[in-house]
Amino acid sequence: MGNHLQVAFDQVNLNYAGFDELALKKLTLHSEINKVGLIGPSHAGKSTLLYLLAGVLDQVIPTEKSGTIALDGQDLVNWLASKQIGLVLQDPASQLSGMADTVFDEIAFGLYNQGLEEAEIEKRVQAVAQKLDLEDFLDQAPTALSGGQIQRLAIASIIALKPDLLLLDDPTSQMDPLGRQHFFAWLKESDCPVIIASSEIDDLAEVCDQLWVLEDGELQMAGKPADIFMKFANDQEIAKPAAFLMGEKMGCKFDGHYPVTADELMKAAAYGNHD
Amino acid sequence: MEAKNENHSMWKFRLTAATMTLIPAAVGINYVAKAFAEGLKLPVWLGSLGTFLASMLAGPVAGAISGFINNIIYGLTLSPISTVYCLTSIGIGLAVGILYEKGYFDKASKVLPAALVIALVSAVISTPLNVIFWGGQTGIAWGDALFAYMTAHHVSIWIASFADEFVLDLLDKVIVAYLAYLIYKQMPKRLVFFFKGNR
Amino acid sequence: MDAAKSASSNANWTASVDPVTKLLLILFFTLAAFCAQNLVEAGIVLVFTLALVFALPTKKSLWAMTAFSLFIIVTMVVIQGLFWPSNQTVAFHLGTIDFYQEGLKHALLLGSRILVIIFSTSFFIETTTLSENSRYLEKSGLSFKQVYVLMSVCYILPQMHRNLQKIRFAQKARGIQPAKSLWSKAKTLMPVLVPLIVKSFQEAMNRSISLQLRGFDSPVRRVPKSDRTYWQDRACHRLLAALSLVLVGVKIWEIICK
Repeated sequence: MGNHLQVAFDQVNLNYAGFDELALKKLTLHSEINKVGLIGPSHAGKSTLLYLLAGVLDQVIPTEKSGTIALDGQDLVNWLASKQIGLVLQDPASQLSGMADTVFDEIAFGLYNQGLEEAEIEKRVQAVAQKLDLEDFLDQAPTALSGGQIQRLAIASIIALKPDLLLLDDPTSQMDPLGRQHFFAWLKESDCPVIIASSEIDDLAEVCDQLWVLEDGELQMAGKPADIFMKFANDQEIAKPAAFLMGEKMGCKFDGHYPVTADELMKAAAYGNHD
Repeated sequence: MEAKNENHSMWKFRLTAATMTLIPAAVGINYVAKAFAEGLKLPVWLGSLGTFLASMLAGPVAGAISGFINNIIYGLTLSPISTVYCLTSIGIGLAVGILYEKGYFDKASKVLPAALVIALVSAVISTPLNVIFWGGQTGIAWGDALFAYMTAHHVSIWIASFADEFVLDLLDKVIVAYLAYLIYKQMPKRLVFFFKGNR
Repeated sequence: MDAAKSASSNANWTASVDPVTKLLLILFFTLAAFCAQNLVEAGIVLVFTLALVFALPTKKSLWAMTAFSLFIIVTMVVIQGLFWPSNQTVAFHLGTIDFYQEGLKHALLLGSRILVIIFSTSFFIETTTLSENSRYLEKSGLSFKQVYVLMSVCYILPQMHRNLQKIRFAQKARGIQPAKSLWSKAKTLMPVLVPLIVKSFQEAMNRSISLQLRGFDSPVRRVPKSDRTYWQDRACHRLLAALSLVLVGVKIWEIICK
């Protein structure tokens, strides 16, 4: 479903200019990106990885890098030159343009930069606002919104650009549970390749077909959620989804592993192998 | 050859995404510092703290532009008379940037002479403005008291006004310089490199 | 009903004057006030700017701006009335203290100049919005980067002003005693100011990354359309610019002749 992007990291070492320690160490990974969840403790390098793919490092933040990164066979820099990348940062308020009178203007900002016509801009803003429950706020000033709404606004501004790769850095930290639910429901249905760094492990398990585990700048493992959680079943550093923990407690397995989604838990409880 | 390159890079300035956001941040900091000084009823302005930091982070041109825009926009939004003092702010931005490049903000002991120079620059530029617009006064009580005292004793209006302004500038710029020095030392390295690398 | 109607029709004529013309008006009136040699001439300029002020829909912030300056003008009148170097003729006595005509006149002249600047500036402030300004400036040829730097500052300042007022109000409501000694004041300053400053720069960094990613420097950027029509904007610019140059010339001539 949707476009699948091929990414290839080869021995990527990276440190921020002026710092000795490596933010990313010997990162090597060849994978297809559909919906990827990025997990790991804080300061693991998740944000750095997202910045790297977005082309922010080197262009905006001075860094020293070795190794290669390729997207769909093309070097990262060349790929970025012809494609639209979308990156949603951790702190939503500081990524607003700081210059929009209304929520509508804020979402439209990137679209004006793309040179689109007024009619097309109007259409896209309405569509995106609807997807993220912001239609009622289009006339309001961004400063009047709550933290969760600002986060949705930041996301809306990015997805309005129709990015070829969407990178999200902890995009639901300030949302209430309902907002988060809507967001992940939307994410599951969206058809663009996504890499999302988040600590909402239950939601990631539902939405993502792949998880990458980062710790201390190193890639610990990349694979299907079920495989990851089984491998790290006894590792306290890696959080497990509720379904997994319940499956563990009940001793029900689904398809050879403890369930990772609600659906799998239901099936495991009903038909699965009991230990 | 090396020294020449250094000077060249100090004056180089491009309007990048980094400098585009640094300048409003500096203006915001100017405003907050000034508001704090007013709120705490301190006998200084502190309204050039952001300009100082902008100069230290991104060079004299960035500081000068921050100061300039600070006064122009402040004058067009909150307080109309500030506009003309943009000349002073430009002078302060340039002075701080140059002194920073020469290493005067590296050690606490060197900050004091730098602050004196900056106070002098500020007073020299502000005095003609004060004379033209306010008849030589500065609007600060004890500075104007000095001014009144001196003019009462038939001192030239220019000297009296300069004394009024310089005494205030001295106290203010010394405090702001040390504040900027301390704050700069506490800034996360990543931030410092970010703005420096984008000159 | 009538008041509202007249208010909206007032808004109409000020709305058809473009932002740059309003800025040029500030320049023009300020120069005119400086070319005025005596109180009568200055008074005429002042009356014109007062006319602008009466066209304003709201005069609230005007009073705040004027109040501060009025205070200084009063002190100027006092100090110059007493001590102005060219004081000769006595205007009036207050007990044993003499106030001199020359000083008083000079102070009033300066005061009226200040009021001219304030009035003409508030005409600009009260009758334009930031989005209108940014669209017009960009349409007139400024690059988006330049417009952004100017406009984002315009957004930050009033917002911080409001935030700080809220904080002060909240503190007063909670009965927080302001620090008494200079040292304790300094001690309360640093722990609040430093994190605030670091945060501001951190946000600036994030914003610049975001701007970069959203294509702020894209060469295909289309300027947002504004559906405002202005009355003779180019003509007004040329007229006011020419008049301002004439006034500058007059002033320079006057200085040379002295």
